[in-house]
Amino acid sequence: MRVAVCAPQVPFVRGGAELMADELVAALRTRGHEAELVTMPFKWYPGARVLDQAFLWRLVDLTEADGRQIDRVVATKFPAYCVRHPHKVAWVLHQFRQAYDYDRTELGQFSESAVDRATRRAVERLDAVALGEARRVFATSRNVAERLLRYNGIEAELLPHPPQSLPYRTSEQEGFVLSVNRLDRAKRIDLLIEAAQHEPSVRIVIVGDGPDRARLQELARGLNGQVEFAGRIGDEQLADLYARCLAVYYAPIDEDFGMVPYEAFLAEKPVLTTTDAGGPLEVVFDRQTGVVVAPEAAELGRAVAYLREHVDEASAWGRAGRAIAERVTWDACVDALLS
Amino acid sequence: MKVAYYSPVAASRSGIADYSALLLPALRERVDIVVAEPRRRAPEADVALYHIGNDPDAHGWIVDAFRRRPGVVVLHEFVLHHLISGITLGRGDPRGYLDAMERELGVPGRLIGLGVLDNLLPLLWETQPERFPLAGTILDRAQGLIVHSRYVADRARAAGYGGRLWRIPHPAWQMDRVEPATEVAGDPLIGCFGHLNMNKRIPELLEAFAAFRRSRPRARLLLAGGTGERFDLTRRLERLGVGDGVVRLDYLPEERMWSLMAACDVLVNLRFPTMGETSGSVIRGLSLGKALVVSDVGWFAELRDGVALRVPVDEYEVPVLEAALGFACEHAAALGAAARAYVEREHALPRVADAYVAALEVAAGGDRVNEEVLWRIAEAAAEAGIDDAGALAREAVASGIVA
Repeated sequence: MRVAVCAPQVPFVRGGAELMADELVAALRTRGHEAELVTMPFKWYPGARVLDQAFLWRLVDLTEADGRQIDRVVATKFPAYCVRHPHKVAWVLHQFRQAYDYDRTELGQFSESAVDRATRRAVERLDAVALGEARRVFATSRNVAERLLRYNGIEAELLPHPPQSLPYRTSEQEGFVLSVNRLDRAKRIDLLIEAAQHEPSVRIVIVGDGPDRARLQELARGLNGQVEFAGRIGDEQLADLYARCLAVYYAPIDEDFGMVPYEAFLAEKPVLTTTDAGGPLEVVFDRQTGVVVAPEAAELGRAVAYLREHVDEASAWGRAGRAIAERVTWDACVDALLS
Repeated sequence: MKVAYYSPVAASRSGIADYSALLLPALRERVDIVVAEPRRRAPEADVALYHIGNDPDAHGWIVDAFRRRPGVVVLHEFVLHHLISGITLGRGDPRGYLDAMERELGVPGRLIGLGVLDNLLPLLWETQPERFPLAGTILDRAQGLIVHSRYVADRARAAGYGGRLWRIPHPAWQMDRVEPATEVAGDPLIGCFGHLNMNKRIPELLEAFAAFRRSRPRARLLLAGGTGERFDLTRRLERLGVGDGVVRLDYLPEERMWSLMAACDVLVNLRFPTMGETSGSVIRGLSLGKALVVSDVGWFAELRDGVALRVPVDEYEVPVLEAALGFACEHAAALGAAARAYVEREHALPRVADAYVAALEVAAGGDRVNEEVLWRIAEAAAEAGIDDAGALAREAVASGIVA
């Protein structure tokens, strides 16, 4: 089968969504399909720009390429799922959240002006059309599926995706908490740094880069080396950090899904998250596969201290997580997407 | 976003005032609302919302404000002849009336209007308003239209309205527990609430009830509401010989109406001709989970099977109505449960308020968003040498990118 995987691209930004699209293409090829990543740059501001960026996808003709039919389109995100194709499958990582759950929060982009309100409604309308014409709509997590139902009345099937391929392994924990994330406010890494302020025994390694880096570094100043910013690193180095950490912190605000808990589990590490983290709570169960606390720095600090004092329990929770992560496979995903 | 809200207010005996009393608190939770008042300066707002019904006393000032500043119209009924005649002829403006008639039917309409003015023809708003709805003068200026039914939506489109249109169901009252009145009883007790006139098919209802009562002699019919001047209900009751089977009450305060409705086994709300209105009384009945019998016309015909028994208005109306009363009494519990489930699903107040806000947001800012996006599309098309930027614009509309 010839499959076009459609995903938007924010130039110079690479995160979980980009990894997922690449891995899907690789998984399709491994299983004998012809697969290609189709992408376009996405800039969602200012104002109604988000709409003409989305419109670009409507103009793309993916029915065939070079005289040969494209059998299936799998689109992963807004606005890529606006593309038209008779056999379009939407595998929704997330919608344009500024128009939905982020609206009227500090993460939103639409003001109370009449134009901004109408732009938000246009995104809603566009989603109804674009997702409504898909042959099937999958969501990568229950959280994403619930948003689709709540905001758009669209029933999506649940289809989580596997984490990125890394040489996962585990080794003796070295007492630090690992954060693997793009550094932006929504990922809430500041909460972990504040936890280190409350609990001097907490050591943190922060992997990733992003627009919030300078603020986070400023926040970590004066913590006497408790916090290390590793920046962007290679796969081998990342696998090594996973293997050696005590636990992995992952607590964005109402996250869609997030691959990080799965990656942590494949390294047999428990995940530290918060009660409002959204998608991660579908696999991180308190004192079964990690620790779930209120989104407060002091609580988080106490949780890390507990893990440091109970490393056997932490290891057991990590191993329990591994069993969950191993159930999510590319075979199941490809079968569902192409069935 | 700020909304200027024009509606009759609760003090008037108006179904639309009741409607606003129900809707406004939910809207206020979602958007900034300024309620406009008669003879006061129009409030500053991003968009104005005008509730328009057929009563010139309640809605004349709203139409005046609407003419000064167009906005979104909530068309509570499609037939506005009484309203238009009231705000034209009633204010000494025969030319306005003739213009409205001409808008409706062209030159023949103007001539018919002249016939009315010269007393050569009967007063159309009293005799056959449904044939001359006169909604056009409102539709022409509406920046957006909110209707409650497919029936009114279709009629507005047929009348040439091409603008934005939203069909938003009438909100339901959230009645957790209403204590049924005990002073009126019957086995069964059938209720008919609202203004009682020929349009409500009261003669047909009385005839069907008289027949029904032969097999259910303890049945009673509660008729609650004012009567029209030319409708002699008392004489009709005497003639049919059902005097003691019918309980007659005049206009009721809200609380008492609810408790009397709750006491009924079956509620009847017939209509013909319809002015395209939605019945607040039917919505109340649905909210209470009552078995309902309605006419199979207009909005009433859109009530789904199993939610209400719909009686066609034809030569078999009376016997079918009699049978429907029997069926409704027998299956009152099941019909009532279906009614309540339906109203909770389709007419839930939060859902209605959300739909209003969505409509108002698009009405307030949609044009500017469209202009902005279409301009950039057209500009890019022109730069790329595409002559027919209209095709791109049509695609933008089809995909929902522009409204």
